[in-house]
Amino acid sequence: MESVNKIKEALSQRSRTATLDELRGEGRKRVRLIRAEHVAQMISEAVHAAVEQSGLISQDEVDQLVAKSRDEFKGILKEREQEAQSARENDQKLQDTEAELADLRSRFDELSKALSTARLELEQSQGELETLREQAPTAEAASPSSDMMMTMMQEIANLKANLMDQQQAAPAQAPDFSDALAKLTGSLNDRLEKIGKKMGVSAAVEDGATVDFTGMFNDDADGKLESNMDNIKVKQKAAGGIAANLAKLKKLKGGG
Amino acid sequence: MTEQEENNPNIESTTETAIGLGKGLDVGTANLAAAVQNDEGGITVNVERNAFLDIPSDVYSKNMLTKLKVPYVVHDNNKLVVIGEAAFELANVFGRETRRPMADGLISPNEQDALPMMKMIIQKILGEPQVAGENCYFCVPAESLDVDNNVVYHQGLFESMISKLGYTAHAINEAHAVVFAELAENDFTGIGLSFGGGMANACIAYKSIPCLSFSVARGGDWVDKNVASVLGVPRSKATHIKERGIDIRDPKSREEEAVSIYYRSLINYVLSNIKARFESGQNMPSFNDPIDIACAGGTSMVGGFIEVFREEFAKIDFPLPVGRIFRSEEALSAVAKGCLVAAAIGEE
Repeated sequence: MESVNKIKEALSQRSRTATLDELRGEGRKRVRLIRAEHVAQMISEAVHAAVEQSGLISQDEVDQLVAKSRDEFKGILKEREQEAQSARENDQKLQDTEAELADLRSRFDELSKALSTARLELEQSQGELETLREQAPTAEAASPSSDMMMTMMQEIANLKANLMDQQQAAPAQAPDFSDALAKLTGSLNDRLEKIGKKMGVSAAVEDGATVDFTGMFNDDADGKLESNMDNIKVKQKAAGGIAANLAKLKKLKGGG
Repeated sequence: MTEQEENNPNIESTTETAIGLGKGLDVGTANLAAAVQNDEGGITVNVERNAFLDIPSDVYSKNMLTKLKVPYVVHDNNKLVVIGEAAFELANVFGRETRRPMADGLISPNEQDALPMMKMIIQKILGEPQVAGENCYFCVPAESLDVDNNVVYHQGLFESMISKLGYTAHAINEAHAVVFAELAENDFTGIGLSFGGGMANACIAYKSIPCLSFSVARGGDWVDKNVASVLGVPRSKATHIKERGIDIRDPKSREEEAVSIYYRSLINYVLSNIKARFESGQNMPSFNDPIDIACAGGTSMVGGFIEVFREEFAKIDFPLPVGRIFRSEEALSAVAKGCLVAAAIGEE
């Protein structure tokens, strides 16, 4: 079949295509037709006959030689195709890795700059705070005004919010940098809480405080969500009852 | 009929059954589970995986998902958000990572926009309250020994979410819920351990009163992350390997070997932290008799867990006399069950 296709290709390359009208114009009224398969068969027979007549090798050996050559050719062709495919994949991987590296370098540079800026601002804030502390010999005699402290707290809170944003934007591939930002944020957190406690305004972040988040779950927002949840059953498991647990608890409560 | 029902003439007839009031909700990093008493004297636990997956929205996908009974939500008009276990399965098929609204036991700061979807899951598994203002106890983690975390925002958020669904929401420590579920025979005295997806919680209780609660920020996700890293596979694939029924005492392949190594490391880490905290002596109760340790949580469900736990426990010099160490028979639903016990006793 392969040889037939090659012969078809060869015939195609060495022949021309003409319409019936063109043939008629050339004065041809009848043409003879032959299939490519027949041409292939003729060539094969001719070659076999020639080899046979030459008396050099037997027909069986000819067939074996042809089959072996064909197998070897297929094997070599397959190897080359695999090598070419592997080379293409390696090339693609290399390009991807280089692009990723360049992107990471760029991000690292940006974040390094942001960290430097944040550190400077932090040092500046700490300096101002220290100055204020030094200027206040005793808490009762000369404590900083509430307005000033609130301004300081606001500044530190803004700084902390910026750091949190930068931390969230940091890529997962730069863990060292995220750690540094986390420490910096943690330090700011502690400082903010200490100042808040001094000012007596830290109740909102103390354990046990009630924070109302109901605004986050208003019905208007939920109403916009399209879903098929109503038609879906959730996975259910049966488990042992709690009567014994409740009885024990009641007994404990009753002091029995 | 309860006193509350007798006093409320507006309650529908369906509530006038023997089913006890109160619901328990396990708000876990990996799974959400709601427990309710049923009319057969047992409890029913609705479980859904706490995960999402975004896929492009089109009519064909919607119809197909509905036919396959896969829950979805349309988000921003152009995204289908597949919810729960189906998201996890789809992520495995397509080699993608699921989105996780919670990390390390708390609401993830990176997934705030997933809250409405989480609310839908909670609404689905909790169902409608049987009476207005029915008690719903939900679990919260304790403060961590090894990381800075603040549960106030997390707790407040879920209180509001559950209240919005018509319940009276109460928070309970996750490991305290394990004590309520598993240590009734010991008069609720002992150590409850909850091995969850995001963290491991511990509570030592005396006659149901929590004396000391804390957590460490390692759990099943930590195992998944490390297994995924060493095997070079997505995390959801690592989760699948872990949950397909392996025995960590007898790993059968390189993948299972990795899971086994990290599980042992996790158990050792948790025990070392518990020991260190107990040895620090702050707020530590003393017991005359040995106390039991009850383990629960989805991460404890892997084969061989409790045996490895006992092996690792034997290696450390634990500062308290310990009797039985056991794993809950209903490890995945034990926390929800403990929350239900707290809710039900609150209704009486």
